[in-house]
Amino acid sequence: MSVKYGILTLLFRQTHHGYELKLELDSLLGIKGKVNPGQIYTTLDRLIRDELVSSPGLDDQERKRYELNPKGKDELVGWLLEPIPNHGTKDDFFFKWNCARTIHFEQEKKMLEQQKAMIIEGVLELTKLKTELLLQNQEKRYLLISGMLFHLEADLNWINQVENRLR
Amino acid sequence: MITIENLSKEFLQGQQSTEVLKGVNLNIKEGEFVAIMGPSGSGKSTLLQLLGGLDVPTNGTIQIDQKYLNGMTEKERTIFRRKKLGFVFQNYQLLSTLTVEENIAFPLHADGKLTNEKNRMIQELIESVGLDGLNRKRVNLLSGGQQQRVAIARALVNNPAVLLADEPTGNLDRAKAEEILSLFLKFHHENKQTIIMVTHDIFAAGFADRIVLFRDGVVDRVISRKDGDYAKYLASFMA
Ligand SMILES: Nc1ncnc2c1ncn2[C@@H]1O[C@H](COP(=O)(O)OP(=O)(O)OP(=O)(O)O)[C@@H](O)[C@H]1O
Ligand SMILES: [Mg+2]
Repeated sequence: MSVKYGILTLLFRQTHHGYELKLELDSLLGIKGKVNPGQIYTTLDRLIRDELVSSPGLDDQERKRYELNPKGKDELVGWLLEPIPNHGTKDDFFFKWNCARTIHFEQEKKMLEQQKAMIIEGVLELTKLKTELLLQNQEKRYLLISGMLFHLEADLNWINQVENRLR
Repeated sequence: MITIENLSKEFLQGQQSTEVLKGVNLNIKEGEFVAIMGPSGSGKSTLLQLLGGLDVPTNGTIQIDQKYLNGMTEKERTIFRRKKLGFVFQNYQLLSTLTVEENIAFPLHADGKLTNEKNRMIQELIESVGLDGLNRKRVNLLSGGQQQRVAIARALVNNPAVLLADEPTGNLDRAKAEEILSLFLKFHHENKQTIIMVTHDIFAAGFADRIVLFRDGVVDRVISRKDGDYAKYLASFMA
């Protein structure tokens, strides 16, 4: 999944050949580790089949170049603006935001605000549940929900920091 | 239980007058837990002061338990406050030369001598807010967070029908705040206490049944989890 959007992000900036995509993807995915080349080529084939990406031909060293189609750009923007559900991992949003920054996405603010709304919804729902568990003396579930809330607090703090630095 | 109608408050400073509350309307049911959020300077503390009968409005009315605060004399208001209300101030307002125990017991003295029962209540509260062992310590020797907890115990000691709390967890870390909020929740649940809590913290506000968003001296919107788009609204409100 992230390989697909990683490729769309990189092609948004400029055309690339396959090996360049691999190197750039490794750094975009960060700690998530290295991508194997086979995965990149099968993903590229699928992107071409779905008309999100096309190939304008070979470069001077006979390597196949890839470029982003308008349809691919729409797909990328749609994905960037879709908040990550609270049960997803934090890495998912970090990756998405990293893609947004990489292409200087002009709707970054909107993206952050939508993610914040998603988190706030989670905070209020989980806090409500937490208060019920507290009154029912359900210690274990109370502590589990508290743990989830601490994660949401960290996420919210981070978004606030990004927003403050955007001002 | 609490009806606020068209409430306004102007402060005069020399020739200058500033309108801090500009027509607040709000209903709070008996036994409801309400959080008030809003930007600094939007009038949250001023509203709480008026609700607590500590100051009088320029216009509009407040009814608590079908009694108009405006209609009372200052003495009647004081008695009403002592019987019905608990107040946690943003800046604590403790009696600095008295001990922890004496501060907490203070609201009880008006009703005569401290009975064993009352003393037990004081001791229980001291433990609930995590100040065990500090009973005889003078409050001006305590940290900010400890003073805040004394203020909270004092507000709860007469088991008030209405608790007004201005940033009660403002100076506490997450774990201490959680203990205080749990204590509020317990009082609220067991004694059907009405709670109005000003906070800037969404994690504290989540304990409440409803969140009142305050902006520029008026109620901007009342949020409850049943509204479809509340989270989007809150996110932009907090931005
Ligand atoms: N006694 C007073 N005399 C003059 N102005 C006052 C008085 N009390 C409050 N104000 C002014 O009224 C405005 C609202 O103050 P208030 O304390 O109600 O805000 P608040 O919403 O509680 O803010 P915060 O979140 O910072 O506590 C401020 O501009 C403040 O300076
Ligand atoms: Mg205030």
